[in-house]
Amino acid sequence: MRARMIMPTCLALTAAVAFASPAWAEFKPTRPLELVVHSGPGGGNDILGRALIAAINDAKLSPVRIQINNKVGGGGASAAAYLAEKKGDPNVIGVFTSVWVTNPLAQAEANVTMRDLTPISLLVLEPAVLVVRADSPFKTINDVIEAAKAKPGTLKQSGGSVLARDAVVRQVLMSKTGARWSFISFPSGGERISALLGGHVDMMVIEPAEAGELIRSGKLRALVQFTEERLDEFKDVPTLKEAGIDVPNVPQPRGILGPPDMAPDVLKYYEDLIDKASKSPGWQKFVRDNLLQSKVMNAKDTSAFLNEHEKEMRDILSGAGVKLVR
Amino acid sequence: MDVINGLAQGFGVALMPANLMWCFIGCFLGTIVGILPGLGPAATIAMLLPLTYGMGPASGIIMLAGIYYGAKYGGSTTSILLNMPGESSSVVTCLDGYQMARRGRAGAALGIAAIASFIAGSFGIVALTLVAPPIAAFALSFSSPEYFALMFLGLALVVLLSGESLLKGLMSLLVGLWLTSIGTDLFTTQSRFTFGQSSLLGGVDFMIVAIGVFAIAEVLSSIKDREETQVLPVPRGLRNLLPNWAELKACRFAFFNGSITGFIIGVLPGAGSSIASFISYGIEKSVSKHPEKFGTGVPEGVAAPEGANNADTGGALVPLLTLGIPGGGTTAILLSALVLWGVKPGPLMMQDSPDVFWGLVASLYIGNVMLLVLNLPLVPLFAQILRIPVFVLHPLIFGIAIIGAYSVSGNLFDIGLLAAFGLLGFIMSQLKYPVSPLILGFVLGDAMERALRQSLIMSQGELSILFSRPISAVMLAIAVLILLSPLLPRFRQMKQQAISENG
Amino acid sequence: MRRDLVRDGDVISAAAIAALGVYVIATASKWDYTTIEGPGPGFFPIWYGIGMVALSLLLIGSKFLKPSVLREPAPVDWAGLSRAAVTWLAFVGCAALLKPLGFTISFALLCFFLVAFVFGRPLRTAFVTAAASAAGFYLVFSFALSVSLPTGLLGF
Repeated sequence: MRARMIMPTCLALTAAVAFASPAWAEFKPTRPLELVVHSGPGGGNDILGRALIAAINDAKLSPVRIQINNKVGGGGASAAAYLAEKKGDPNVIGVFTSVWVTNPLAQAEANVTMRDLTPISLLVLEPAVLVVRADSPFKTINDVIEAAKAKPGTLKQSGGSVLARDAVVRQVLMSKTGARWSFISFPSGGERISALLGGHVDMMVIEPAEAGELIRSGKLRALVQFTEERLDEFKDVPTLKEAGIDVPNVPQPRGILGPPDMAPDVLKYYEDLIDKASKSPGWQKFVRDNLLQSKVMNAKDTSAFLNEHEKEMRDILSGAGVKLVR
Repeated sequence: MDVINGLAQGFGVALMPANLMWCFIGCFLGTIVGILPGLGPAATIAMLLPLTYGMGPASGIIMLAGIYYGAKYGGSTTSILLNMPGESSSVVTCLDGYQMARRGRAGAALGIAAIASFIAGSFGIVALTLVAPPIAAFALSFSSPEYFALMFLGLALVVLLSGESLLKGLMSLLVGLWLTSIGTDLFTTQSRFTFGQSSLLGGVDFMIVAIGVFAIAEVLSSIKDREETQVLPVPRGLRNLLPNWAELKACRFAFFNGSITGFIIGVLPGAGSSIASFISYGIEKSVSKHPEKFGTGVPEGVAAPEGANNADTGGALVPLLTLGIPGGGTTAILLSALVLWGVKPGPLMMQDSPDVFWGLVASLYIGNVMLLVLNLPLVPLFAQILRIPVFVLHPLIFGIAIIGAYSVSGNLFDIGLLAAFGLLGFIMSQLKYPVSPLILGFVLGDAMERALRQSLIMSQGELSILFSRPISAVMLAIAVLILLSPLLPRFRQMKQQAISENG
Repeated sequence: MRRDLVRDGDVISAAAIAALGVYVIATASKWDYTTIEGPGPGFFPIWYGIGMVALSLLLIGSKFLKPSVLREPAPVDWAGLSRAAVTWLAFVGCAALLKPLGFTISFALLCFFLVAFVFGRPLRTAFVTAAASAAGFYLVFSFALSVSLPTGLLGF
């Protein structure tokens, strides 16, 4: 008897929700969520995505499972295209990073820009340090600049793609100081560090977490940090400004975004979810352990931030001679 | 002494019943998931990683190591039975493994793969335990010119892999070089041969090419030849299910070769296990008394690459554990797992977290034994796959190929590519173009181009950087010798003719 | 004589690779051969493109120069080739259906088609095989291993 009573009530409730005015419509996921990352297992965005999911699970913030979906390829282009295809699907979100902004600028085929997608929330800014081998003659960034000026093109920096942050930092430093050194691209972080440790290149711009153990064990030395204020772990290392080079810091943002034209209630849901997750102990620990700079913004501010970032990168890249297509 | 103390401590950790169980579960799950084509060790670990959340770092890494090893063991199964590489480093295993299966020696091939994996895997771990620091220093001395020479040496193996027509082998190699340059150029972000497709910006995945030209093409060929009745003779009786003494004896050198080659190449951060398996296969063929039989199902053609593939594991862990540098995709995810648990891999890991470090090393020893014990009895079971009637087996191979290709990237575009490569492989086999040079060119071409360009940037355009460094000079010289070797018989003939004419 | 040559797969395939080589050279010549930093994106492709053209011409040349190679080719198994072609087209069809129908249904259709028409089994056998293997794949991969399979508009 009870069951019969409940059924109509349920139907009525569903109907009420369905016809309700959008003002108090509220989205709550009922299917597992998909978190799209553009790197393979073990890549930077993949680790960040997994840590975020672990933090959300620990704090029991999501009523449904969240699973990682690695859409590797094209420096974010495959993942961006996939998200663009998921227009209107409230169960898919993704992790963006700087290449999502720079890649479409330089590649005609990467035709999904951040403007097409829905930025949800910025999460962190990754700082960077410039490191040399411990037995290097360079003690400060100015030693490097002087040596590079004395013999242009002979010093070498190992790094990734020319669109990546380390290459951009080099461009900024070179155009400010007039020094010139070469940039050697390696596909994986392991090869970049190996080239530096083996003495085949002279320097590298690297995330502090990646270099932390090598600095602590005395194999590498940090000369300068690309941050506004000194990081706790690198108290003895001057910032770029303190070293007397006054150029804007090139941030490496990472955050969450969704498919195009996300409905306002869905956007609100994810904004809240990320906001809560970013305050959870699991996430705070991840940020601390990896020496990241927490920078949580709401959707509106994130969009504005990304627009500004794109403008900045456009100037730097075109100044560096990269052919821009957009 | 430190090593012995450390190992004792490690075994203390790894032999705890709970950890032993996690190791077993890891090995088991790794083998099962690793069998699926497309899901290599990295993807398998990523998939099963959440299971280890909530364990302590020691138990967690022990389980992950089990998965890593298990996935490596599992990779060869489909290569041998279905001509479908289970992961990129098992591609070479197809060449002789599948031919052995066609001759009714599927069980023997699987058994040899397991034994070679065990021997070489154990060698890799012993080497990791004893000589990790000096070998890591050696790996760091490898710079771009050395990598270029290594890749060039690998490409020279085309001479050995070409079969009847060297000319066709070289053409196949060049097509491989072309396919591997599809995608975004790392140095300039210039997109090459992408036909305006954003799906091609990241290049073509090696697994898609390999599954296409091997598995799909093989199904098409056998449907063309109407191999309706049993394609593969099913081995019967325990004796036919395991390798016999003669086969094992033939593999003596291969075990040794696979161990050394796999370990050394595994240590190098810029070379992966697929390169190790190719080079060990090339070495095996070049020293063999009957090189012409390679590709028709010789046991050493299975033992060398499978051994190299597993010794590579020990090698790849050297830079990870001594320097905190991931040498490839799989070690990168191990690194991230360690970081998630709060362990910091690096030069100080041995001091800071000895239980994790030595527990991992000890569990590798245990896992290796466990996998041999687990895999040998599974051989007869797997060989039963061949009992499935052809009209069911062939559609199943298509299904597994689609799932495998899809699990690599999650992109439907890749299934279309898979079809295209299947057709390419079929046409090549009909016109008697050897397929393995294409695969070789695909694996090495990209890395060789990169190393060449890196070298020339380093030297500001001086070509001499390539042969003025001792290691690279030696490797280039060997490569040239291999390339000239087809001329040798002709030269001898001419000499003999000259002698007989004079006399 | 001429017809044999044209039918000779070696000549056709070599011509195809030569054409590919020409395409590679033409495309790569638009990219920088060298840049200020070092060799550019066009450096390597131009060289293997030249290699492709040279080797294919060599292969074609050797066919003309050595008539002994031009012995009567083995009769072409057209029935076999068309079986393979039909199989391949069915695979392509299945790949095209993955997007709207998802893996389970497209694979069942492919399986049914192959068993019934390529292997010529009774329709009942084909139906059972298709249904059983599709269900098996779903259970093993999607359900037990939670490997994500391509899903269609119907959601599976």
